[in-house]
Amino acid sequence: MKATQTQILVLGAGVGGYTAAFYAADLGMKVILVEQDAALGGVCLNRGCIPSKALLHATKIVHDSELSATRGVSFGQAKIEIEKLRAWKEGVVKKLNQGVSFIAQKRGVEVWQGRGYFEDSKTLRVETKEGQKFIQFEKAIIAVGSKPALPKAFDLGNPRVMTSTEALELPEVPAKLLVVGGGYIGMELGTVYSSIGSEVTVVEALDAILAGADADLARPVVRYAEKNFKEVRLKAKVTKMATSGKQIKVNIEHEGKTLEELYDRVLISVGRTPNTNDLGLQNTKIEKDEKGFIKVNGKQQTSDPNIYAVGDVAGGLLLAHKAAREARVAVENLAGNPVEFGHAVVPAVVFTDPEVAWCGLTENEAKQKGIEVKVSRFSWAASGRALATDKTDGLTKLIIEPETERILGMGIVGAGAGDMISEGVHAIEMGATVKDLAETIHPHPTFSETIMEAAEAFHGHSSHFFTPKR
Amino acid sequence: MDIRIPRLGEGAESGSIVNILVKEGDRVQKDQTILELENEKAVAPIPSTHAGVVTKIYVKPGDKVSVGHAVIAISEEGGAASSAPAPAAPAPTVAAQPVYTPPAAPVTPASAPASNQDYTYVSKSGLPPAASPTLRRIAQDLGIDLNHVRGTEAGGRIGMADLKNYIQSLQSRAVSGGGQSAGSVSSSAPKAVSSEKIDFSKWGSITRKPSSSLRQKIGQKMTESWTTIPHVTQFEDADITALMELRKKFVAAYEKKGVKLTVTHFVMKAVVAALKKYPIVNSSLEEDTQDIIFKNYIHLGVAVDTEQGLIVPVVRDADKKSMLEIAKDLETLAEKTRARKIAIDDLKGGSFTISNLGSLGVPHFTPIVNKPEVAILGVGRGAWKPVVIKSKTKTGKDKIEPRLLMPLALSYDHRVIDGADGARFIREIVQNLENFKLEDVKLS
Repeated sequence: MKATQTQILVLGAGVGGYTAAFYAADLGMKVILVEQDAALGGVCLNRGCIPSKALLHATKIVHDSELSATRGVSFGQAKIEIEKLRAWKEGVVKKLNQGVSFIAQKRGVEVWQGRGYFEDSKTLRVETKEGQKFIQFEKAIIAVGSKPALPKAFDLGNPRVMTSTEALELPEVPAKLLVVGGGYIGMELGTVYSSIGSEVTVVEALDAILAGADADLARPVVRYAEKNFKEVRLKAKVTKMATSGKQIKVNIEHEGKTLEELYDRVLISVGRTPNTNDLGLQNTKIEKDEKGFIKVNGKQQTSDPNIYAVGDVAGGLLLAHKAAREARVAVENLAGNPVEFGHAVVPAVVFTDPEVAWCGLTENEAKQKGIEVKVSRFSWAASGRALATDKTDGLTKLIIEPETERILGMGIVGAGAGDMISEGVHAIEMGATVKDLAETIHPHPTFSETIMEAAEAFHGHSSHFFTPKR
Repeated sequence: MDIRIPRLGEGAESGSIVNILVKEGDRVQKDQTILELENEKAVAPIPSTHAGVVTKIYVKPGDKVSVGHAVIAISEEGGAASSAPAPAAPAPTVAAQPVYTPPAAPVTPASAPASNQDYTYVSKSGLPPAASPTLRRIAQDLGIDLNHVRGTEAGGRIGMADLKNYIQSLQSRAVSGGGQSAGSVSSSAPKAVSSEKIDFSKWGSITRKPSSSLRQKIGQKMTESWTTIPHVTQFEDADITALMELRKKFVAAYEKKGVKLTVTHFVMKAVVAALKKYPIVNSSLEEDTQDIIFKNYIHLGVAVDTEQGLIVPVVRDADKKSMLEIAKDLETLAEKTRARKIAIDDLKGGSFTISNLGSLGVPHFTPIVNKPEVAILGVGRGAWKPVVIKSKTKTGKDKIEPRLLMPLALSYDHRVIDGADGARFIREIVQNLENFKLEDVKLS
């Protein structure tokens, strides 16, 4: 069979893949985008960011309406119609799927549905519904992403043991849900299920939830969990899991004791693994690291000069916006511009209640690396807007280089933190100083003001937060 | 303990105090601005190097101070001192860090400070130097390592001007490095030839003073002009006896208009007319294309002597201005220059330069072309000399008359201007001066 020729092959149509394909097409290259799923958009759009945000949004009102009663505005008991909720969420996802397909078509990107397998550094075999097809490419970009890790000991072949993929399908409202892993996925989905009525227990092996976030930023999320979940167990370990009728029997080691408990469902959120098996990578010169991620250089180029890799499959932070930037870097290089990802600042957001977001250097990281920094904090208890909206549990902080007063990092916990963090990213990217932020007028009364006030507090001049003279 | 003037950056070694922001008894924090120092053309806030209570103020506004000068005394009582251990040594030792850099604008057009050359960014946080994404992208495209570019914006951020300066310094280094391609911008770029270090104190006592950034810039610019332009200098004397009479006649009228009419103004007028006739002298050589750029404007640079050194402000469109306008422009510019309030744009875009050392009593000197211009006129002190006046008739007697002769020296770039052109041009100036047109000086 004759192979189809293309300039650029993109394998995987997630955020990294479609960004690469679209940008390459914009730059005038001939592109074929290969995706094994019928729906475009990858994990983020179908089984990750988007459906989880839809569910968090839809269910947040349960908790909010309870708080509302204390303010003299009451609603009745929330009633969850799970089919309707699921259908609405699927509708959101479908709209985006169609959007991506439509844009691909408009840009002249050829989309093939099928599973890709590298025959060599120039050829991809695609298993399609119509049988095998071959693509001969000049350059390829691999963007096949990652999937939730499911350790063998937990893989009972029982649908009651779920990963985020199944949990987002909303199969039912389990009476008792165990969340294994207190990272951002576990905490976000725990929040969703507790809102719709599940009794949620979180088990985390480390001594804190939301690893990566500074302790002061995670604290309000811990408080939410303490109030709304059944329990959050730190330094705890699941040692055994077994099917027990319509439930799962779980052995948990916690505080020197072994607990044996029954749960209706278990969510395993202990990390993600790259989709690098069964790709035929051994037929190319691509090298993988010990965890199975594809090794790339600063230009996103793999050890095989013809092939680039972007997004989760290339390791680092497993975040859609990181994938999108890497995709642009790869395409720029294919277009002959020697660009590198470099020190681009990648923000992180956890969409719990309240949201947590940070970017650049964290306080933890500075401590670990022995970097001397100054930290300026502004508690939302001093924000008028936060008081007026019952969001006083928030905190905004700046990590500052002492000699230059340059902003090195920003951390926010509080309502809308995820949207506000972009100002921090921009400040760091622009090499802004704390004075630059203090001198920038922020509208009153908003949460964003807390950034300006944190900057003002650094010099001891915040209007709403008195700093005793140093 | 005493708080001293720290070393704030290039060209900020000294200045005069414009504002004192603290008073005795005030509590100051580390890094709090205690006074404002005016240096070159910028006003820089001076931070306190320690926290404490001000016990004495040694200076008053208007005082001239330099690096290391004690300005206030503070006591560190009350334990309010910063948690960081304060360095015991006086502030000047912190010079190596990217401390506070005043936003000083470069004083002469083009050219980066020579000190840019071996600069390497020292990062405590491990991050690359601060610069906007756009600038970093440009640097990446050009293969420039931003670690060697000195950032002059707040927090040591590298601005577009800093990058330009750096590229220019690389370029001039490549040129002076003997035909090295200007494209080789890696860290292996040719280094300025450093002469052997000599210990002058072996032969007697010495005083060491850092050269100002202006001094360094002048040095760099002159080196570039001198080493890249094949210079020719031609001399002429202009008989300005009649011209001085003319000046005498009009000096009072000009005085009434608020300007002092000087020989320089006459020379400027004479030069403008000559440049119009010989546009090649009003051109520039574009080195990469070897194109000669003729300018359809005449912007005259006039060298001005200041306390800090030579600065050349530019009188725009001198060909479209009357003598009065030229005189007024020059006076304003010279004043601004001496007060260090000149804008950078006032120093740029000159198409020909006049350097008058006559007022300093110098008769002859060879000026250096102010690159990218192609010629410069040096004007010396006029002196009375006996001149043989040949009789106009065959039978008449020749006479010897005292005449006021002003020496002129025209230096030019021989790549662009040949000897004959130079000769014609300087003769034209002499003619213009000796037969100065009344209507050119008359007030309308």
